[in-house]
Parts: sequence; structure tokens; C-alpha cells
Amino acid sequence: MTDAATTDHWIRRLNLVQLVLAGVLIMAPTVWMVLSSFKPSFEVTAYPPTLIFTPTLDNYVELTKTTPFLSYALNSLIVTVGSTALGLLFGIPAAFAVSWTRISWPAILTLAARMAPGTLFLLPWYVMFRQVGMIGSYTALILSHAVITLPIVIWVLLPSFDGIPRSVFEAAQVDGCSVTRILWRIALPLVASGVAVSAILAFVFSWNYFLFALVLSNGDTKTLIAAAFNFIGEGSTQWGALMAAATLIALPPLVLAALVQRWLVSGLTLGAVKG
Amino acid sequence: MSDTAATLTQDRQKLEMAALSAPAVIFTVAMIAFPVVYTIWLGFQHFSSTGKQSFAGLANYSKLISDYEFWHGLWVTIALYVLSLVLQLVFGVWLALVLFHAKRLPGIVRSLFISPFMMPPVVAGMMWLVILDPSLGAANYILQSFGLPPSDWLASPSLVIPTVALIDSWQWTPYVALIVLGGLQSLPPSVYEAAQIDGASPFRTFQRITLPLLLPTIVTAAILRSVDLLRFFDIIYITTQGGPGNASNTLNIYGFRVGFEFFNIGYASALMLTLTAIVFGAVLAFNRLRGAVAW
Repeated sequence: MTDAATTDHWIRRLNLVQLVLAGVLIMAPTVWMVLSSFKPSFEVTAYPPTLIFTPTLDNYVELTKTTPFLSYALNSLIVTVGSTALGLLFGIPAAFAVSWTRISWPAILTLAARMAPGTLFLLPWYVMFRQVGMIGSYTALILSHAVITLPIVIWVLLPSFDGIPRSVFEAAQVDGCSVTRILWRIALPLVASGVAVSAILAFVFSWNYFLFALVLSNGDTKTLIAAAFNFIGEGSTQWGALMAAATLIALPPLVLAALVQRWLVSGLTLGAVKG
Repeated sequence: MSDTAATLTQDRQKLEMAALSAPAVIFTVAMIAFPVVYTIWLGFQHFSSTGKQSFAGLANYSKLISDYEFWHGLWVTIALYVLSLVLQLVFGVWLALVLFHAKRLPGIVRSLFISPFMMPPVVAGMMWLVILDPSLGAANYILQSFGLPPSDWLASPSLVIPTVALIDSWQWTPYVALIVLGGLQSLPPSVYEAAQIDGASPFRTFQRITLPLLLPTIVTAAILRSVDLLRFFDIIYITTQGGPGNASNTLNIYGFRVGFEFFNIGYASALMLTLTAIVFGAVLAFNRLRGAVAW
């Protein structure tokens, strides 16, 4: 008995050691990025690297002075909010219809975007948007990013709608409610938390998306992610400003993800795993 | 009489349902289905350096077969894919087991564990670019303090693929772990109790019971990662742009550059359609595998 207890004790200790090790491996690079962004410029490139330093906001000030960081951020916000709204507008009714009728092809169709390489769509979009003079427009960027947000909204909401007992709808139908009315008045309030999770996930993945804005934006509409090159610079070692930019770009998705982490798993796997 | 009324309501309901799906379907057809068909057509076109377009038949595809860069890109894509997938599945299962046995994990810890894959891949690239800098990076300092020789990481033609695989695995191993953790939590506890009564060792229990039962979940994780890994783009484009030389020129990077740097839209379309076929092939193959390991 004591033998088993000791083994158990050691296994638990070993597990704790592994947990800490994994935590350090996962966190260390991000911590290093954030630390570097607060270092004085001569310390960022110090070798051997320093851990103790007087923190400064110089890099952040420099970033806003030497690059149009804030207008890039505004562009990112416009494209992300626009595409998330569009994804919700089209995705909520579609998810409800798929859940109700069990006809799943509309949901599967939207998944195509999740599987094919983005360049496959980007080539024809480029030719088409150029013909109508929409390269560099917010409209083109929002439409292209909605291709990312729509399947997220649909697949996150499907299990939520599936979870509502049928009897709720049938009772409403007997009372003469139209399907559209049932969706907005009865079903939607019941899946409010699912809508919030889907909106946040759509926001994060639209914010993080790189490829489309790389080609479809211009100097005035460039998003933060597409502008990342401007911060890296040609062979420069402005690491402080670079790490400040990286920290600021990563901040919105990280904060949002932390808010909904409990519901993220099922959403992130597009329904493949029930979290 | 009431029958007709019921049919009428049913028809009305069908119509209303179709109307609800319509915006999403129309949007997807306009933004995905039609452009893909258009890409297929573009794949048969030749774009001259002045932007003139002419029918090229299968010329783009025969060019592809004799194009050294295509075969190199395919090799780079597959090498990066296999290396990254193996790393992420092995460490993902390990991390899932560690998390599974750490009961009552506070929410903040879970937030930390998902932080890498919620971060934009571009930011991950920027961050690792600084850490892995050959002369001033922290990674080489750590190597040297253990008495190991410094490495050129992303600047080395022979190491760039493993290095990119390492960066991607840092970002996505926690994602695989969360999926596998979901699978672990749904396993029936009774099978473990039986194993315990039989006096099986923890390793044997894992090998004989946990792993086989987890296989469907692991295959699901493999499918989700395959789709992203085969179209690898962001981290490479931000760190090496396919270099040094062409050492990390994956098919997606190559196709993008052919299309948007050399503006050979026709050939780029042929390349992208080929890559898409590879991705769908992999998904179908894994789907069959999932059927084979289901329980």
C-alpha cells in the first residue's frame, strides 16, 4: 500500500515537472518578445542577451513616429470588424437552416475555403478585382476576409443550434410563428453565447490572416499584418521597434482568446471534436 | 383539406429555409466556386510579359512537369509537412497526457497554453526571426552556454526546413494537444479500472488501451493540421521568402511568387490547382484512415 502511494506521489511530481517544462517552452518566446519591446535600443541587440534592464516605452514611441502604425491598425480594425459582421450576417441564418433541415451541403461548401490554398482564390480575385478597379478597396478586403469568417461562424454555431430541443420550435410553429421569426426571436437568444464565441473566433482569424491583404490592399488600406514587412526593414536591427510592433499586433487576438478559452476547443476544430 | 394545408405549410417552410441559407450559398458561389472555375480556365491561358492573354492549351501543365522548381517545391512542401506533422502529433499527445493528469488546471494556464496558436503566424515569424538571429539571437546564446556550437537556423539552406518546422510546431502543438485532450476526457473510465485490476503498468496501459482508443482523435488532429501544413505560407514568407536561395520555397510560396511577382497568372493557376489536388487527396486518405481506426 505504502509502495503504491509512493509511486503515485512520484508520478504526480514527474507530471508537475513536465507541466512546468511545457509551460516554459510555450511561454518563453512570447515573454522574450514582450521583454525586448521594452528594452532600450542598445540593450535589445546586446550579446550576451540581458534579462535585467530599465524598461522604456521608447520603442513604442519610435514605432508610432517612424511608421503609420495607427492607420494600419485602423485598417485592420475596419477589415476585421467588417468581415466578422458579414460572416455573422450570412452565417447565423445558414447555420440555423442547416441545423433544422439537416441538409448539410451549404455548410460543407463554405468549408472549401478552409481546405484550398488561399492563392487559389487570390489569383482569380486579383484578375477580377483589378478589372473593376477594386484593388486596394476596403470592400475587396472585407469580402475576401469574409471567406475566412463565414465557415467559422457556421461551424461554431451548428452544435449550438443542434442543442436546442425541437419541441421549442414545434410549439412556436403551432402558434403560427414563421421560421424567420423563430430564428430571431426564439433560437438566437438561446445560442447567444455561441454567437459571441463565433464572433470572437472569426475576429481573431480575420485579424491574423496574412495572404489576401498582401495583394488586395494598397498603401492606404494596408492591414497591420500585411504591413509587417515595413517593420522588419531591410537588414536593419531595429529589433526594439520590431518587437513592439509584434507585441501590439498579437495583443487583440490574445486578449480575446483568453476571454473565451473555455469554449474555444470545439470552435477551433470546426465541430470535429466536442470540447 | 388539412393535408393540403400541411403540404402548403411544409412548402412554405422549405422556401423559408432556402431563403435563410441563400446569402451564405450565393456568397460562397460568388467568392469561391466561381473563382475556382475561373482559375481552371486561367490555367489554360498564357500571360505574356506585356499582360496579353492567349489560349495555351495544356502548355502550363507540361511546363509544370519539366519545371525543376515545381519538383523542388513539392519536395520542400512534403518534407516540411511530414516533419512538422510528426513533431506536432508526438508532442501534442505528450502535452495532452500531461494536461490530462494535471487535474484542476486554472483557466489562466489554459489561456497560456492556447496563446501560441491564437497569435498571428506572422507575429510568430517576426518573434522567432529575432530569437534565431545567427549572430545576436538568444537561441544561439543558449546553445553556446551549454557548450554547443551556434547554428545559422533560418539562414542555413540545410537547416531552414527543420527550423521552420520547429517554429510551426511551437505554434500548433498546443492545438493538437487540446484536441487530443478532448478525446482523452471522453474515454470511458471503466477500461482503465479493468487495466488497473489486471495490474498493467502505466506504459502498457497507454500503449494497449489509451493509444488505440485515441487514434480516431489523433487522425482528426492530423487532418486539421495537414490542411494547414500543405499550404504552408505565412511563417516562411515573413522569415525567408522561400530562401536562402530556394531552400524553403514551398509550392504555395512558389505559386504565389509566380503569380504576383512575375505575374504569370496562367502558370500560377496550374501550380495552385495541383497543390489543391494534393491537399484534397491527403484529406481523403486520412478520412479513410479515420474510418479504419474508428471504434
